[in-house]
Amino acid sequence: MTGRVLPFRGRPLSSEAGLRAAERVLSTPLDERTAKAKALHLEDPETLLALCGVLRERISASPASVKEEAQFLYRFIESPRREIGLFDERDYFLGETALLAGTACRCLSQREDAWIWFDRAEAGFRHTMNAPAELSRLSYQKLAERLEERQVDLVLELLPSLFESFQKLGMPEDALKCRFLEGLAHFEKDDPLGAIRVFNAVCQQADELGSQTLLADSYVNLIHAHGLLGEAEAAIEASRRAIPILRAVDNRISLAKVHWGLATLLREEGQLREAIDSYRKAQEDFEAIGMRADIAALNLVVADLLLEEGRSVEALREISEALPVIAELKMAPEGMAALSLVRESVRRQEVNRQALRELHGYFQELQN
Amino acid sequence: MEKSSPRRPDEVESVFALTLEVIHSALVGYYQLTEDEARGAEEDLYVWFQRLSRRGGAGHMPAKLLRISLLSAACQYGRSFQLWKLGGEKSPDAHLNELLAREPDEVAGDLDRRFKEDRS
Repeated sequence: MTGRVLPFRGRPLSSEAGLRAAERVLSTPLDERTAKAKALHLEDPETLLALCGVLRERISASPASVKEEAQFLYRFIESPRREIGLFDERDYFLGETALLAGTACRCLSQREDAWIWFDRAEAGFRHTMNAPAELSRLSYQKLAERLEERQVDLVLELLPSLFESFQKLGMPEDALKCRFLEGLAHFEKDDPLGAIRVFNAVCQQADELGSQTLLADSYVNLIHAHGLLGEAEAAIEASRRAIPILRAVDNRISLAKVHWGLATLLREEGQLREAIDSYRKAQEDFEAIGMRADIAALNLVVADLLLEEGRSVEALREISEALPVIAELKMAPEGMAALSLVRESVRRQEVNRQALRELHGYFQELQN
Repeated sequence: MEKSSPRRPDEVESVFALTLEVIHSALVGYYQLTEDEARGAEEDLYVWFQRLSRRGGAGHMPAKLLRISLLSAACQYGRSFQLWKLGGEKSPDAHLNELLAREPDEVAGDLDRRFKEDRS
């Protein structure tokens, strides 16, 4: 008798073979995978580990496909119950795939689904051997979601504790991401100067850590903050630094936000037509990755600019395009109140500009 | 600020190798697995630990901080295996029964302290 508790049903894969298996899985149509599970080594923990790594990298380029892939993997592991790997590995993979699905839903503004997936992630991670590390990552995503739901005070209350957890766990990059959320909270509080202070600090530390992703995302927020203050030189410098990194890591979400930030700057400078062009470019980028909430938000911003130019018929068309998506998103109460006024405006063919601004102001804060 | 460099492959090997003696003595001395049983357990623990160090969260932690997870897994392994061998009966060895009644995480904490003391 040996000490093996869970014998392998075949030779386990090496990490290199796991990566190759992951590529084969991703190139196999979803509806064929379960039948081909054995040939694809889909139950092998090395395959699953590689798949989770690939999906984590792809989330900023293609959140919709990551959601679909992560959901498939979760369902595959969960039911019918499959024994995966050794000790706690089944629970870990349930938690990790659920966290990926939840994060993707957050990017896509699918808030209810995001919370359900976060609950599933917690149920998996709770049974893992190194639960504090995984649960802390989950807490970060939950706080990011709460920030998007404008629960700013709660986020600011809970961030220091999460920061401390990451510090204790020896995870400096994750700790720095907490400061990133703090910077976003300044935007929510209409404090672009505070945001600039925090993001400059994050940039410096991200550079020291060698975290290109965090560095580029911070530059993107600096573009937006400087743009709001009409500080053209600083905004353009931040975009010059952000774009090459974002292209290198294929971060399409943040590339779209660069156009949004530059449009904000153009708008502040009174270059309305150029601003609209830049907003349109951001919309095209969001369209390519399925981020409908952001497209709708920009429809409202563009409508506001069109009204400023006296183009009310076009403005109404923009608003009409946005309304069905906004209603589907089930926004926060203040957003819904503004939405009702804008709906009424459209019905009367006479836009209530204040309501429109409140509604797209709500969205503008969401983009961060 | 501490640099977040990619984990070196030999870092994980090194942590496992340094901890192996404590793991072996826990499996054989505490949980009373045979030498063969312990060797099989250690092979599985090695494979598992390699993958633990590449997880989304734990994978970002310094490998030395993962040692307590490794010891905890070893204790859970040893306990489950011995309970299975006993088939629901009590052992004639009172010390073993006492150990099996303790939480593996608690035993792992004791082992970690011993590990640190041995190297201080």
